[in-house]
Amino acid sequence: MKQELVHVLAGNSFAVSDAEGDMRPDPQVPVGLFSFDTRFLSHWVLTVDGSPLNSLSRDDLEYFETRFVLVPGTASHYVDANVSVIRHRSIDDSFNERITVLNHSARPAEYTVRMEVGNDFADTGEIAGPRPRPVTVTRNPRQLRLRYQRERFSRETVVTATEPAEVDDAGLTFRIKVPPNGSWTTDLHVQMVLRGEGSRDIRAHLEAHQQQVRADMREQLRQWRDRAPQLSAARGAVAETYQSCLTDLAALRYTPLAYAQAVPVGGLPWAMTLYGRDAIVTCLETLPFTPELTPATLRALALAQGGQLDDAHDEEPGKIISETRYGESAAFGDQPTSLYYGAADTTPLFVVLLDEYELWSGDGDLVRQLRHPARMALDWLDTYGDLCGDGYLRYQRRNTAKGVINQCWKNSPDAIRDRHGHAPAFPRATCELQGYAYDAKLRGARLAREFWGDPAYADRLEREAAALKERFNRDFWLPERGYYALALEPDGTPVDALASNIGHLLWSGIVDEDRAVSVAGHLMDDRMFSGWGVRTYADGQLPYNPVAAHLGAVWPADNALIAAGLRRYGLDLESARIVDAMFALAERLPGPVPEVVAGYSRQVTKYPVQLPSAGRPQSWSSGALLMLLGTGLGLRPCGENLLVDPALPDGFGQVDVLDIPGRWGYSDAHARDRGPRARGQRRRLRR
Amino acid sequence: MASAAEHLASRVAGRHPELPETTAGTLRLDIRVNGHTDHWYLTIHDQKVDVSRSSAEADLVVAADRAVFDGLAAGRAHIGSALLRNDVYARGDLRLLMLLRRLFPGPPDARHPRTSGLTGEAAG
Repeated sequence: MKQELVHVLAGNSFAVSDAEGDMRPDPQVPVGLFSFDTRFLSHWVLTVDGSPLNSLSRDDLEYFETRFVLVPGTASHYVDANVSVIRHRSIDDSFNERITVLNHSARPAEYTVRMEVGNDFADTGEIAGPRPRPVTVTRNPRQLRLRYQRERFSRETVVTATEPAEVDDAGLTFRIKVPPNGSWTTDLHVQMVLRGEGSRDIRAHLEAHQQQVRADMREQLRQWRDRAPQLSAARGAVAETYQSCLTDLAALRYTPLAYAQAVPVGGLPWAMTLYGRDAIVTCLETLPFTPELTPATLRALALAQGGQLDDAHDEEPGKIISETRYGESAAFGDQPTSLYYGAADTTPLFVVLLDEYELWSGDGDLVRQLRHPARMALDWLDTYGDLCGDGYLRYQRRNTAKGVINQCWKNSPDAIRDRHGHAPAFPRATCELQGYAYDAKLRGARLAREFWGDPAYADRLEREAAALKERFNRDFWLPERGYYALALEPDGTPVDALASNIGHLLWSGIVDEDRAVSVAGHLMDDRMFSGWGVRTYADGQLPYNPVAAHLGAVWPADNALIAAGLRRYGLDLESARIVDAMFALAERLPGPVPEVVAGYSRQVTKYPVQLPSAGRPQSWSSGALLMLLGTGLGLRPCGENLLVDPALPDGFGQVDVLDIPGRWGYSDAHARDRGPRARGQRRRLRR
Repeated sequence: MASAAEHLASRVAGRHPELPETTAGTLRLDIRVNGHTDHWYLTIHDQKVDVSRSSAEADLVVAADRAVFDGLAAGRAHIGSALLRNDVYARGDLRLLMLLRRLFPGPPDARHPRTSGLTGEAAG
């Protein structure tokens, strides 16, 4: 049984330890202290009189703060019941640990408290096997400095104690005397330094980062919660899930080097940086609740928009980034991640988000300011995204060594397979990309007409969108199966697998009206719907595997878009089933909603089965529950007003959401499930 | 192959439709050559770039050895990676660094995705 891991996080900084608060490297999990894609502590182990400590209790106070209560010895054998230790740690742009040693006896006591300190300066991309690096150690009174230098690249960990310590190359030792029933305390402060010119931290020279004052984290969290709408719900767990997701989203905000406003990172533990796809989807999910994430994300993505043809980075002019990292492997080009563009969906989704944000916020200024990047993104669709010249958005990596093979949300190497397991040829046109492109063109047309003063361009985009929809419904539809192909090969051969991607088509509106019921029927039948949500890939096909991320498992973010798509086509019952299942999943799993759970049938396991590889918290998973709530409530901007058109699952009872921000100022939503009696009045599925 | 100085003198000044029309700012490039520093001053506005030689303060100051700038001008170096490596030092408004990227060429051997597709990998 794997030991429980404990994390604190703030933006792209995070610390992962065992249940005692100790950190030792693990090839499977990024254990240690990390910031800007670099490990700053790989070894951080506390002992008292040479004995390890055992956890009695723990308070996870806030996402950035945890308190461990410990005693020396192991669980079965306490060495000394007269002493206990409290480790109280918090993280912001530095890591802080307050160590308190309590003497419970009536006599003064002497202890040797030692913190072992070590670091390998591993890049987050090489946790499985960090290469050895020369680390320079400098000792000062009360301070230990560990430094790694490669050419001009330098990272440094500085550990400083507030109490006198004997410092050696491997840690700090405190020989202390504690009065009867008294205590001793020291604060350990760990600075994570990105050395720039003149030995100052790189961030000190950048205006964006000077503005990011080390404000009181608690106060910031309180304000974040206050800015979000207030929710009360008859089903108490709904309100709990709502609050918990809001907190996750607060935890996962970080400020990029180039930009002063916070954007969402992907999530713990592998995606603690800006991912274009995760950030855009998170923003789309959270517009009624935390709209402030969106303008910052749009601006940050526009800044990093592709400007060149660059094979190593899979970059083309107009493309929106997939990922950006700051670690050593990005700096030296070992990985193409300093700015990596290997994603075919981020660019159309950027335009979709810009339009959707304006519909909610009424912020026409932003649409005008971002005209150029939005236009470049729309141009990219036809210039660079249409790889075969047949009018379909496709992907094929040019960086064949390190690029991402599947440049869509299902980005594992074997995610795109036909029902017999055959891998389609490149360039691949997955179906949901066509939906995103269609939606982007229609939305771009609205922006061009209403904000950019370019009605001719708007007409052109609308003509292109209409042609794409017609072509798509001809070429992707599998009449004998009654659903859309997962993808098309370069020669037009359809990839016949039944996969959740068809749910995104509903969300984008590219599905012909008379086919929506058939698509929904497939999404909701037992091969696809596990009871906890729609599987990525239907059971009964050869590659299906309930524990494979994109070939059978269930993703909340996927389901959020599918549920919204079902409502778009008036399939309210089906949508409500997904909302119900996803909230049931969130309620049964303690802590943040994972990015993915196994695809086992709910009837078999009764409980959502977690995957060890699944990260959490994850922005787009926590955002997914908010979107599902918005979908159940039927929140939609309608002109200058907020439309509320509920289709809540039975059992939700009354839900009230107060102060939903938007172009209307603030508006409230009151909704109630329609109860079992109303069922017969709604649109029924036919197969 | 153009040096950074030649590139700045001949190809950067003028109209650049690839720059957003809403972005404006000043950049100073400090090119370190054999113990002294050449200052290039770029003013960006309305998709135009004015280039002059001045050491005046700017919204963003970017400093590096000549070899690094020459690498950028030849499309051999990536300015984002160079910044992370500390080969490039930046002070001020880093948003402008992203614009500077567009004023330097990409790698000379880069392919259009459509061409690359013809010679690309088979199904994986």
